[in-house]
Amino acid sequence: MGASRIQMWQYITAILLIVFLGGHLVERLPWLVGAESYHDTLRSSFVSKQYGSWWSIGLLILAYTALFHGLNGVRGILHEWKPRLGTLWDAIIWAVFIVFALIATYTVAALW
Amino acid sequence: MSKGRAKENRPGLLRASLNPWLVRVEDHPERLAFVLHRVTGVIIIAYLLLHIIVTNTPARAGWEAWDQLMEQFGTNIVNQVGEFIVAGSVLFHGMNGIRLLLAEFFGVCIGRPEKPKPPYIPPTYRACQRQLLYLIFAVWPILWVFAGLLIFGVF
Amino acid sequence: MVGIDPKAATRTPPKTVVFRVKRYNPKSGREWWQEYKVETHRGMTVLDALLKIKEEKDHTVVMRYSCRMGVCGSCGMVINGVPRLACQTQIAEVADEGNPVVTVEPLYNFPVVRDLLTDFTDFFEKHRSVKPYLLRKDREEQEEPRGQYLVSPEEHALMYEFTLCISCGLCYAACPVAAIDPDYLGPQALGYLFRYVIDPRDEEWQMRLMIADSEHGCHKCHYAATCSMVCPKVVDPAQAIQRLRSLLFKYKLGLWRKKKTAPLSEKPKDWKPRKPLPPEAQLVSPDVDLERLESEPVTVEVDGKRVELRYTIYD
Ligand code: HEM
Ligand code: SF4
Ligand code: SF4
Ligand code: FES
Repeated sequence: MGASRIQMWQYITAILLIVFLGGHLVERLPWLVGAESYHDTLRSSFVSKQYGSWWSIGLLILAYTALFHGLNGVRGILHEWKPRLGTLWDAIIWAVFIVFALIATYTVAALW
Repeated sequence: MSKGRAKENRPGLLRASLNPWLVRVEDHPERLAFVLHRVTGVIIIAYLLLHIIVTNTPARAGWEAWDQLMEQFGTNIVNQVGEFIVAGSVLFHGMNGIRLLLAEFFGVCIGRPEKPKPPYIPPTYRACQRQLLYLIFAVWPILWVFAGLLIFGVF
Repeated sequence: MVGIDPKAATRTPPKTVVFRVKRYNPKSGREWWQEYKVETHRGMTVLDALLKIKEEKDHTVVMRYSCRMGVCGSCGMVINGVPRLACQTQIAEVADEGNPVVTVEPLYNFPVVRDLLTDFTDFFEKHRSVKPYLLRKDREEQEEPRGQYLVSPEEHALMYEFTLCISCGLCYAACPVAAIDPDYLGPQALGYLFRYVIDPRDEEWQMRLMIADSEHGCHKCHYAATCSMVCPKVVDPAQAIQRLRSLLFKYKLGLWRKKKTAPLSEKPKDWKPRKPLPPEAQLVSPDVDLERLESEPVTVEVDGKRVELRYTIYD
């Protein structure tokens, strides 16, 4: 009930992001994944290995949590800016969330 | 009573979100952290939306297209600078986010209620959130430079 | 923290100080800065200087003040870019020989009526919306007290700091969220709300938490903590709001309830029923309906619907 129902997820997703975003960034350290440089870690030979393993679930969770967390943050800012348009902001933000969550799901599913 | 209209006097979204010195108090890093947290948050969500579209490339057009794209991005200075800014943003937002989690969600590191006494510094500025913030401001540049070395291909 | 320098009154300010006052004329809508040179003396406050300007130079400058000793909370204004009580700000604190200039503006985030005078109606409406008074389930007893509510010194110590608020609005003027969001309850109201949530004598903590739990309630605070910086009474609303919010989360997760409220002491031996107020103590204005003020429900948004919170419905 009330605003805390959504706002609580802002913090829960933040905790999840520490784990999953942290992991996602550590993957870009060349020494840890046996690559030559940071840009090397972005080549298909490395990246494609991450899909198709259990970590692709992690990537999907990361996409959902980061999208929720970031968009809900923007939603809060928009509510502060023009409180009278609250319903409009909510509609826009959740529409964007659904569209981008679908794109992310498609990416992970297609590369499984 | 005087006639006429009262004048609104709110600085508004941009000035309040971007100017950490809107209220010119000294020794107040929390306000700077608020501005940085908000600005970095918006930078990261903008990046994330692009990122979700770009990482869709291999699913849409195959891995060759992806490798080509990464080759382009990796050699484009505008792109590298953008990545550098996003990296710095994530580092600050993440570290300060942990501090905000402790303060706002768990309600710790914010000081304890006490009877005000000289020199009248409110408990919240003597709590460990302040030390955490100093730590963040010390560690952040180091990690950011490190990220820059990676992004610009120094190692 | 700002403006609480006990030594400041012992220092001598620059002999003459230029006051740059932001003026506003509501009739013409004109806004301008006006400068006045003031001869100062040791111990002179910014309010003293403004009154001197009003007496000797320009009687059209408008400001609000009352107690002149940092108690009533009327004289808040932005002095050199910082919200302060004018009567509690020594000129020696804000001006020195190198820069003998003091700028004075009306408080930010409040509508400006004229010059330095700001409109607190909305601010007090927010204050009122958090029901800033004790509420007991036994309303009859509260109206016709039969004893005292017993509070231990330890319990009192936990809330004492937050009871010191004088509703001066400095925190509200300093807050970056109040600077954007006209609906934000603000540090003063939320601090007050928290003070009653933890007050052992209060029994309506669930209703209070629901009032805080709105789109423009405690979740709008981002812990920029400027409110605590400028508070002249060291109330530390920033801490209060973080405590309030984490308590709200714990309550929602089923991890916190107010366990015990202050019991009623034994009925004193010399107890007598309460006497009605004498006529001179009654409110004279027919516009003010005390009954309505106290019984008026607070509306909050729950699941997208406006819900009226009435007294003692959450048992
Ligand atoms: C390590 C991961 C992260 C942590 C620990 C974290 C933590 C937080 C916390 C605690 C808040 C609430 C601040 C407040 O309301 O006072 C917040 C706000 C926000 N976050 Fe994050 N965050 C993380 C990653 C991200 C990411 C990846 C994005 C973007 C996709 C993001 C975008 C935002 C935005 C836009 C806000 C709102 C800022 C504001 O209202 O001022 N964050 N973050
Ligand atoms: S909390 Fe402090 S600054 Fe805010 S209204 Fe109360 S006394 Fe004034
Ligand atoms: S701590 Fe919260 S209420 Fe206080 S100034 Fe910051 S945002 Fe405003
Ligand atoms: S005049 Fe009363 S607080 Fe300044």
